[in-house]
Amino acid sequence: MPATKIGDKVIRVDAIEKARGEATYVCDMTLPDMQYAYMVRSTVPRGTIDAIHLPEMPEGYYFISAKDIPAQGKNELWMIMKDWRCFAEDYVLYVGETIGLVVGPDRATLKDLRDQIKIDYTEQTPAVTIDDGINCVGGPMFPEKNSNVMCELFCEKGRPMEEVFAEADEIFEETLTTPYQEHAHLETNSAIATMEDGKFVFYASAQCPFYIRKSIAGLLDIPYEDIIIRQCTTGGAFGGKEHFPDVLCGALLIAENKIRKPIKMVFDREEDTQFSVKRHPSKCVYKTAVKNGEIIGTEGHIYYNCGAYLSSSFVVLQRGVFHANGVYTIPNTYLKGEGIGTNTFPTCAFRGFGAPQTLFCFETHLTHLAHHLGVDPLEFKMRYLAKKGDETTTNGHIIEDVKLPEMIDVITKESDYWNKIKEYKPGCGRGIGVALYNHGGAFTGNGEQAIIKAHARLTKTGDKVEIFVGSTEMGQGFRTSLRKICAATLGISIDNIEYKNPDTSKVVDSGPTAASRSTMIVGRLVERAALEMKERWNEGDFTTEVEYEHPEGYPWDQATFRGDAYLGYGWGAVIVEVEVDKLTNEVKTLGVWSSHEIGKAIDELIVHGQINGGIMQSLGYGSMEKLENKKGYFKQKSMSDYVIPTSMDFPKQFYHIQENPYPWGPYGAKGMGELVFNGASAAYVDAVERALNCEFTSIPIPVEDIEEALKNV
Amino acid sequence: MEEVKCYMPQTLAEALQIRKDTGAQPLAGGSDLMVANSRGAGIVPGFKKPILIISNLPELKGIRQLEDGTVEIGALSTSWEIHTSPVTHPLLKDAASRMGAIALRNSATIGGNIGNASPKGDMPQPLILLDAEVVLQSVDGERRMKVDDFIIKTKVTAIRDDELITKVVIPPQKFTHIFFRKIGMRRSNAISKLTLSAAANIQDGVVVDFRASSGAAGPKVERSREVESLLIGHKVAELPDLKGAFLDAWCSDVIAPHAMPEYRRNATRRMLEYFIDSLVAGHPEGRVE
Repeated sequence: MPATKIGDKVIRVDAIEKARGEATYVCDMTLPDMQYAYMVRSTVPRGTIDAIHLPEMPEGYYFISAKDIPAQGKNELWMIMKDWRCFAEDYVLYVGETIGLVVGPDRATLKDLRDQIKIDYTEQTPAVTIDDGINCVGGPMFPEKNSNVMCELFCEKGRPMEEVFAEADEIFEETLTTPYQEHAHLETNSAIATMEDGKFVFYASAQCPFYIRKSIAGLLDIPYEDIIIRQCTTGGAFGGKEHFPDVLCGALLIAENKIRKPIKMVFDREEDTQFSVKRHPSKCVYKTAVKNGEIIGTEGHIYYNCGAYLSSSFVVLQRGVFHANGVYTIPNTYLKGEGIGTNTFPTCAFRGFGAPQTLFCFETHLTHLAHHLGVDPLEFKMRYLAKKGDETTTNGHIIEDVKLPEMIDVITKESDYWNKIKEYKPGCGRGIGVALYNHGGAFTGNGEQAIIKAHARLTKTGDKVEIFVGSTEMGQGFRTSLRKICAATLGISIDNIEYKNPDTSKVVDSGPTAASRSTMIVGRLVERAALEMKERWNEGDFTTEVEYEHPEGYPWDQATFRGDAYLGYGWGAVIVEVEVDKLTNEVKTLGVWSSHEIGKAIDELIVHGQINGGIMQSLGYGSMEKLENKKGYFKQKSMSDYVIPTSMDFPKQFYHIQENPYPWGPYGAKGMGELVFNGASAAYVDAVERALNCEFTSIPIPVEDIEEALKNV
Repeated sequence: MEEVKCYMPQTLAEALQIRKDTGAQPLAGGSDLMVANSRGAGIVPGFKKPILIISNLPELKGIRQLEDGTVEIGALSTSWEIHTSPVTHPLLKDAASRMGAIALRNSATIGGNIGNASPKGDMPQPLILLDAEVVLQSVDGERRMKVDDFIIKTKVTAIRDDELITKVVIPPQKFTHIFFRKIGMRRSNAISKLTLSAAANIQDGVVVDFRASSGAAGPKVERSREVESLLIGHKVAELPDLKGAFLDAWCSDVIAPHAMPEYRRNATRRMLEYFIDSLVAGHPEGRVE
């Protein structure tokens, strides 16, 4: 077999088994004496639990709740903090909060039993929206602070804002909002718990097997090693399976500890839509100071709706704040972020991890400012593009060459942007819009060093090599990319590399599959381990293992959020052209042109797939994906009322990949999985605004919201 | 394990007898009922009544054109069959072709789409415009009524517990101009947000016939012969003067949207006005796009 090269276009190693339906997902697994579990959830957004009335449970059927947590254990899941209770007791904080499980052998009987459980609540007034949370509707969620603020941070650069505002000719102020978004992964959340040799074994649809182990061990106060997590083929995740599998596995652990039989829990689609984590809704208030037609400073107040528990929200908020000035260098900035607690399902990771919200809001804000000043938005934005060496909003520096000018050149030529903006008069029904964006790769600052300390291990047996890492394939193509990096480095065929779904008892912890870090960080670790293996190739069968090393000279202070937040950004530019039907407000997207700088594409087919998918998902977020929470309840409950785009909604895209090798990534690669989500929604809105000569300050913009905006024309 | 009692008759006579004896719920393509009664993966659906699977009945199949131009559509005809038939009306084809996804269009039937009586259902909207009738059969005989009368309101029809919908009958049509729009939540595989059909017959500069029907704009498909009559019998040249009263009446009185009322009223108004303006402008016969 010929040696695989990085430039080869390879067929994804998981393509055939998935296309044929042969891949085994959690719901396909049936173990002997299989038991099933369903969650019993809160039906009120805020209140006390006064009584739980159980029906008579037939033999072999159980109701599992907080009472089943043993005395040494604690009713808490450890994500970033330990605030998320495995089972609500005494009070509930949101609709869908887990109160218990019903477990037993027959699923129909279990659902009947679940329907018969009656829970008495004394309801309280919930805080639902960000403004509810800010105003402590229903009383503060954190009485000790007399507020609902869960987490906060700020960063500032340059002169004090009062001074900058005093000097300005005008202050352009806007409030922009972004909505919930549902991950809508093809496979719903699911997990199986069982016992093997006295250890608790979980089969899970999950991104981060080691997170689960850490999160749930405290429920029984047992060592991590007594819990084994085996990731199953995972049918999509998008961040929705970063921390949320802890919620399923934690509850199953308590049930397993009592029942000691295999127990399976698979969410129905309606459950997954209503009762799983979502993207954070945001509200961004920007005040931009303008003098002589130029921006001299920006102040941003950023609020994220975190729901009832912190989960990953503080980190999401940080990333939101660090991306809140987009790809621009503005001399004076003050950016403040607040994570607001509400009585809604906790929000958590979702592709982009906080960056898409602020990027959409700031990009749209600058577009509106450009219109206000009578300048073409792209021409206006190009004046402020960040360059290598520029000071960032966190008082660090842009470390790499920024290739945006070249990338803008490619897509404006391909789309004929400069001619079309002259041809399409505002309000003519056709419009072309643009957005620029970036995404900081991997964990913020020195988090890879200070928090994760990732490892990777390779084992050589004959001419075969197996990769042992905790990183997961969830549809993004990492199993192919990582095998390719390993094969190309060793100079052997990708077919001689094995990389199985991780089992925490067999692999080393390479950190979570999140933050666009897998190729950039874990790929680099495997490259290093392979380089060492290549040198010793003739030593017979042996193992190499490496640990992450942070480049010297890039300081970061996690206490004050100052320094180099990211060593390598991915950069993006996208143009969207639309035609709007003036009878019905239906928008037809005529073209999408994008350029992304990702260091180096490890596999162009996979990167192309990510670009297509990320941009589609972003266009869905901007155009049609409406998820509303009314009085604590999600209004959209299924895939027929929460719609995501189909292949009919958006046209074939032009894509361009800009090379700019990154010194600390494998073969020069940086992260890219989230970057491709970060801009298209703003470009779409810009295009529709120009087509109709109207303005939007929130997304999505389905036909009825366009009707609203047209009233103000 | 729970069970659902199912009957699978092979002839209409057999089916009607079972329907009379047991009141079993008819199930054809199952695309509404299986969703509505689902209890989740791995669990038998929670049907409240026994189920009468009618998909094998030959008497309910096929699409025929009679000599006078009347089209009879068997109740088991699927959206795909209606869309691809050479004899079905273009407005009905439009509606059938935009229903759900391909897999659904291969199983969903016209009888089910009418019987389900959703205001967002795709086919009742053009059927009501076309004055279609539904044929109901029981062991005691046959009843016919307009689809417009058969569907009483959301999820409520005039069907009796011993009847089956056997066919839909569409009288011969003469229109010079037609217009159809479905606005879904996305471009395909979507439930309607708003639909509209309009049709006119213009002869020697006179509006001989004018009809419209609005779907997803109230508790049932809305049509008003009284409002249509504001335009019928008048010269095309008079339409610019008449259209205001027509549009006002249609968009404020005929349709009664509960959610997003502004959009539904305004978009309906713009579409109808566009259709009328096209007639005034002498649009060639055929479809107004």
